[in-house]
Amino acid sequence: MTASVPQKDDAPAPLEKVQARAAFWFLLPAYSLYVLFVLLPALATIVFTFLYLDRYTWTAEFVGFDNILYVLADGRFWTSFRNTFYFVFLAAIGNVGLGLVFAAVLDRALPKAMLYILRLAFFLPVLVSTALVSLVWQFIYSSDLGVLNYYITSIGLPRIGWLSDERVAMISVVIMDVWKHFGFFMIILLAALQSIPREITEAAEMDGSGPLATFFFIKIPMIAPVILFCVTYATIGGLQMFESVRILTSGGPGDATTSMVMYMYEQAFSSQDIGAGSAAALVLLITIVIVTLVQLKLGTRAVDQ
Amino acid sequence: METTMTDRLRSALGIVHWRNVPLMIVLLIGAGLMIMPFLWMVAASFRPIGESYRLPPSVFPDNLDLAAYREALSSGVPFLTMYWNSFVIAAATTIGTLVTSALAAFAFSRLEFRSREFLFIFMLLGLMVPPALVLIPLYFGYARIGLLDTHVGLALPAMASSFGVFMMRQFMLNLPKALEEAALLDGANYRQIFWTITLPQLGPALATLGIITFITSWNNFVSPFVLITSWDKMTLPVGIVALQGVMGSARLSVIMAAATMSILPLLLVFLVAQRFIVESITMSGVKG
Repeated sequence: MTASVPQKDDAPAPLEKVQARAAFWFLLPAYSLYVLFVLLPALATIVFTFLYLDRYTWTAEFVGFDNILYVLADGRFWTSFRNTFYFVFLAAIGNVGLGLVFAAVLDRALPKAMLYILRLAFFLPVLVSTALVSLVWQFIYSSDLGVLNYYITSIGLPRIGWLSDERVAMISVVIMDVWKHFGFFMIILLAALQSIPREITEAAEMDGSGPLATFFFIKIPMIAPVILFCVTYATIGGLQMFESVRILTSGGPGDATTSMVMYMYEQAFSSQDIGAGSAAALVLLITIVIVTLVQLKLGTRAVDQ
Repeated sequence: METTMTDRLRSALGIVHWRNVPLMIVLLIGAGLMIMPFLWMVAASFRPIGESYRLPPSVFPDNLDLAAYREALSSGVPFLTMYWNSFVIAAATTIGTLVTSALAAFAFSRLEFRSREFLFIFMLLGLMVPPALVLIPLYFGYARIGLLDTHVGLALPAMASSFGVFMMRQFMLNLPKALEEAALLDGANYRQIFWTITLPQLGPALATLGIITFITSWNNFVSPFVLITSWDKMTLPVGIVALQGVMGSARLSVIMAAATMSILPLLLVFLVAQRFIVESITMSGVKG
């Protein structure tokens, strides 16, 4: 018995001290990974923005705002900026909109087997890597020998340059993105719809509200915070888009689909200009923070009303 | 309440309300359209290499020519090695993330110490760091210390999971503490308490975080694309894109065969544990 009691004669460390010492060891692995591989690199990117770094000699020279000004004066940066926002706008509407439509349709009693099949079909693209599906969609979009143009021309419509026409290319990227991601939003929105208490919708229906009116005037306002979350989530993800365009179009035709991360990648790794690449990354971070804050602000105001 | 019961009963018995039949047909057509790209992929993978692009495209394999699979496995591109790399890196990342997250979450949810709240919030800052932001210093830093083009260099940053710590802490806050406190009074130290009492209760949270981490790692493109340069160290997504560069667009069947093979394990797991995977992945939405 005495062995299991904390030893009193040994002037025991006070509990706080014991806990603090234990906390140190428990936190050490996660915190060192976090500091070394997230925090320091993120800070380094910010510092690099103000330096000229020679990547072979590793000599650094302070250049102030030169890198940021270089990026902000680069027409290609603004093209990538516009492209990214164009993509985010369409993809967020497509993903959350289609997700909401299907969530509304699925929010009813359906046979179990049916639900299994639907979840399989709508969620499989979410699960598979973007790189892989981009290769498959490249084949689908191929101009002369692609699947899509085969069916389009067989019903007498003209061939479309899905990836080669600069007015269409970004739309094609958006279509693939919505196909790949809306199932994710569908599941989140469906869960939100199903969490609405039955009493509320039933009361509305007893008062003579039709299913459409119930959906738009009762259910949508009730799940507005979840919709807002989905839009923000889609926006943050969309602003970082890279691999789909990298594989589908390499940013082309021309610069019609070059994204901000792609611009950053090219500056840092293709041109080996660490300063400009870091500046582009910093601008991306600031853009994400601003867009998120604006959305949350506008959103909470709209939700409150 | 009555409608709920009958709806549930109907659903359980697999009986379909006639009103829902047209809708179900539309939904099934939609489901068919969703999996079309996968069907085209599989069908193209079974075509003779020279006929990859023959029109009309087939939705179901019209013959079972395995040449593309043989070539994908035997070309100069070490496809099986890439498979193995993806698996090892995903497994290591998952184990690392689970252990470090659970340990840190134990400190944040069970121990009292100075600046606990601050350290926790400070770690959550990591949720806001876009992966692209850390790649430049990682690449040039790795080049300097010899971690470039290594699996260790790829796995370590992936283990730093603010989300994992956050999720595990939430889960632990909802677990009863009575047993742990009793053990403490009996003289157990925190290491023993963690391993013998807390950890065994974390099953559901570990499974969810494990699924999220494994799939994220398996699909990750940007970091291996930047940090790995040699063929025999590449992971599947990057490797297949590189394979396409080598094969050229004419040998589409080979690319589609490789793509089919790399999706297969994911598909099998998904067929078996569908509900759990869907719930886990949507959980990660908290990440935003």
